[in-house]
Amino acid sequence: MQTDDLENAGRTQEVLTARRAGLTGCRNCGRVHDCAAQVCARCGSRIASRDPHSLQRVWAWLAAGIIVYIPANIYPMLVTTTFGKTSQNSIVGGVIELFHHGAYVVALIVFVASVVIPIGKFLAIAYLAVSVRSAAVIRGHGRQKLYEVVEFIGRWSMIDVFVVAILSALVQLDFAATVNPGIAAASFALSVAFTMLSAHSFDPRLIWDAYEADDI
Amino acid sequence: MTDPKPAELDVSRPRQSFLRNLSFVWLVPILALVLSLAIAWRSYSERGALIEISLSNASGVTAGETTIRYRDVVVGVVEDVDFTTDLSRVVLSARIDKTVADLLPEEAMFWVVRPEVTAQRISGLSTVFSGVYIEASFKPSPGGSARSFEGLDDAPLTGVGEEGTYVTIRARDGNRLSPGAPVLYRGIEVGRIETPHLSDTGDSVVVGTFIAAPYDRFLTTATRFWDTSGFSVSLGAAGINLEVGNLSSLVTGGIAFDTLFSGGEPVEAGSVFELFADEQSARQSLVSGIGPNAVRFSIDFDGSVEGLTVGSPIEYRGLRVGEVSAIAAFLTETTEGQRVRLRATVALDPQAMGLPADAGTEESVDFLASEVEAGLRARLAPANLFSSALIIELAETPDAPPATLGRPEKGYPVLPSVQVDLPDFTATAEGVFERINALPVEELIDQAISVMASIEAVATAEGTRAMPDALVSLIEDSRALVASEETQALPGEIRAAIAELRGVVDELRARGAIDRLVSALENADAASANLSTASERVPALIEDLRALAAKANELGAEELVASATRVLDSANALIGTDEARALPPALTAALGEVEATLSELREGGAVENANATLTSTRAAADAVAEATAALPELSARLDALIAQSERLVTAYGAQSNFNADALAALREVRAAARTIAQLARAIERNPNSLIIGR
Repeated sequence: MQTDDLENAGRTQEVLTARRAGLTGCRNCGRVHDCAAQVCARCGSRIASRDPHSLQRVWAWLAAGIIVYIPANIYPMLVTTTFGKTSQNSIVGGVIELFHHGAYVVALIVFVASVVIPIGKFLAIAYLAVSVRSAAVIRGHGRQKLYEVVEFIGRWSMIDVFVVAILSALVQLDFAATVNPGIAAASFALSVAFTMLSAHSFDPRLIWDAYEADDI
Repeated sequence: MTDPKPAELDVSRPRQSFLRNLSFVWLVPILALVLSLAIAWRSYSERGALIEISLSNASGVTAGETTIRYRDVVVGVVEDVDFTTDLSRVVLSARIDKTVADLLPEEAMFWVVRPEVTAQRISGLSTVFSGVYIEASFKPSPGGSARSFEGLDDAPLTGVGEEGTYVTIRARDGNRLSPGAPVLYRGIEVGRIETPHLSDTGDSVVVGTFIAAPYDRFLTTATRFWDTSGFSVSLGAAGINLEVGNLSSLVTGGIAFDTLFSGGEPVEAGSVFELFADEQSARQSLVSGIGPNAVRFSIDFDGSVEGLTVGSPIEYRGLRVGEVSAIAAFLTETTEGQRVRLRATVALDPQAMGLPADAGTEESVDFLASEVEAGLRARLAPANLFSSALIIELAETPDAPPATLGRPEKGYPVLPSVQVDLPDFTATAEGVFERINALPVEELIDQAISVMASIEAVATAEGTRAMPDALVSLIEDSRALVASEETQALPGEIRAAIAELRGVVDELRARGAIDRLVSALENADAASANLSTASERVPALIEDLRALAAKANELGAEELVASATRVLDSANALIGTDEARALPPALTAALGEVEATLSELREGGAVENANATLTSTRAAADAVAEATAALPELSARLDALIAQSERLVTAYGAQSNFNADALAALREVRAAARTIAQLARAIERNPNSLIIGR
């Protein structure tokens, strides 16, 4: 990919890109091929200088993620039965309840993990996908960083789902207390998965094409 | 750094055809959308119907948490708790599952289930932790569209869907009937009673009773209900009987029923049954049961009705036909001013009086009205010898002043009553013994003893001692007479008599008359154990006397002396026996024993003793009666004997010492006979006086 990042930092226009050099790197194993190559000689994965369907997939996964994120917030995440008394909590409802109970830190963590991060991811991915065509606003390096953060942080949103899964598995004490996952748990897990796929579908090389296009 | 040689690169823009560029990935968001919509639609369609339940209070009900259950399955949840506009009631808005809501009829019942601990049961314990819930009970009816309901304050006794029969039970009081108390059939709980309430007239308590199917088929007209509350101890001929119901009915009361004979007709819902105090009286009621179609009457009494209680039997020609259901005093206006009269309300069973089983009130009243025309009156009577309890007798009283069955507009028809003198208990019981004491038994015995004394006096008299010599000369004369032809012609019987007389005279001469008498007294057999056997022997004595008299008439002195001696022997044997002498003390002792038993009874002694005493008293009375049957005959014979004897003695001639003594003895005997006759008449006139004392 970037052969000499350090030297070229801040001077993107002057860099000779692989594409211009007629080379293509395998995104899987990193081996550099000739542009004409379709399949990586080392690992056998498909290679292309630019993924022509990348943006489509980003948008599709993003849409799916947003769609399932709606029931994830409307329906209850946890169905807790304590001494025959059943209570259902949606994500935001749970946060508010925790807040009312004075557990501000926990409420904050849940809020960030379940609301801020997913929504931030939606926005970030949408921005990246939209901004592929334009060179303005955030510079290439910033966008590259944003992409990396989104890629990295996406999996942590699954914490919520794991908590629900573990609670459901452990707290099955019949009458005393029972925790069951609600519809929202599945929706949220899907939403996270879809956004991760969406982020993964994004071809970061597209970020730089805008600058090249400017050059041309 | 060497510049890499740029390779040929086909740099071209992606194809612009939108459709051809369309990726299959787009199926994913479409699928997600469809899925989300499906979920949304499903939850919307399952959202259920909103119903409103109004309650007097909503204690424990929390919006969003309190569930609504049907057969203990959650079918809905309370969404909102609000008031009616005038704040008089609480209105709960609840979402009910659509499937359930579609079957909700208007009469569906809702009530709040709270933890409840009563003597009878502990219920709703789960709600201690989970909070209260609202239980619904209804009979699912398709097309039900009711959405507004009145909630109940308490759980109903029976669910709407429960099959069974409602009957009404009439009880004397509601003391031991608590709502929800169980109804037992052979110890199995088959139903419950509702809250008891007073009847319209206020003289009984009626309580609705639900008998669940299939047990309601055991209800027939032959069914009797009784109270099983608590335990009962009864003392009877079979010993002490302790009956304890089940624990629940011990605490909360309960009633049981049984079908006591076969052949009862099935009952319809709403039939009325009487509640009996215990199983025994329920079973006894069969003999003259107070059926479900009992007719009520009032009976007014002038005097005291002490001893008459609610439940006292009404007897009609000795048959129990009903019982007293209430007693009250009231004021009446008479010509002399106000008077307090006592009014007993009685329930009469038409069936027990011989009317058809389906006789209505009118029919029964008409029947009694005609009976009253014919002289039927109500009167008080003692229940039995040993209690001061009273019963009401419906008896035909021909000499009663004419009266008719009163039919007031308000209240029950009034049966006319007559006043009777009621001996109280002590008078009744003691009267019996007084009468027994007053019987001239002792007098009779005294008379007999004095007869004995007279006879002894005769026997010991100088004249009697001188008799043998006189007799010898008499016999000498007689021998001459016998030698005569006339005497030869006499029957052999007379010869034998003379031989016997000679033997007697010889014996008299050998031992002396007194010794003979004394030994006769000493050797008397123990034949007479009581008056009965004694009287059996009396006719034999009379036969002897008669034979004596006959012989004396025929023969004269010789035979007389011998026969007289024998008679005296027999009389002595009879009267002088230890048994006969012991009779009066024995009677007195028996009376003492009866009295002792009676006092023991008064102190709450065993009924068994009473029964035994009654039996023995009755046996004694029977024996006395038996004995007295022979008494008139005895006195008649004695009279005849005396008449004959007197004739004989007069014919004997001279006014000797012996004559005078014998006459005195005969007078004594006559006095004895009169006494016996008196006793016999007294007993004959009123044989029952010995037993019942009235």
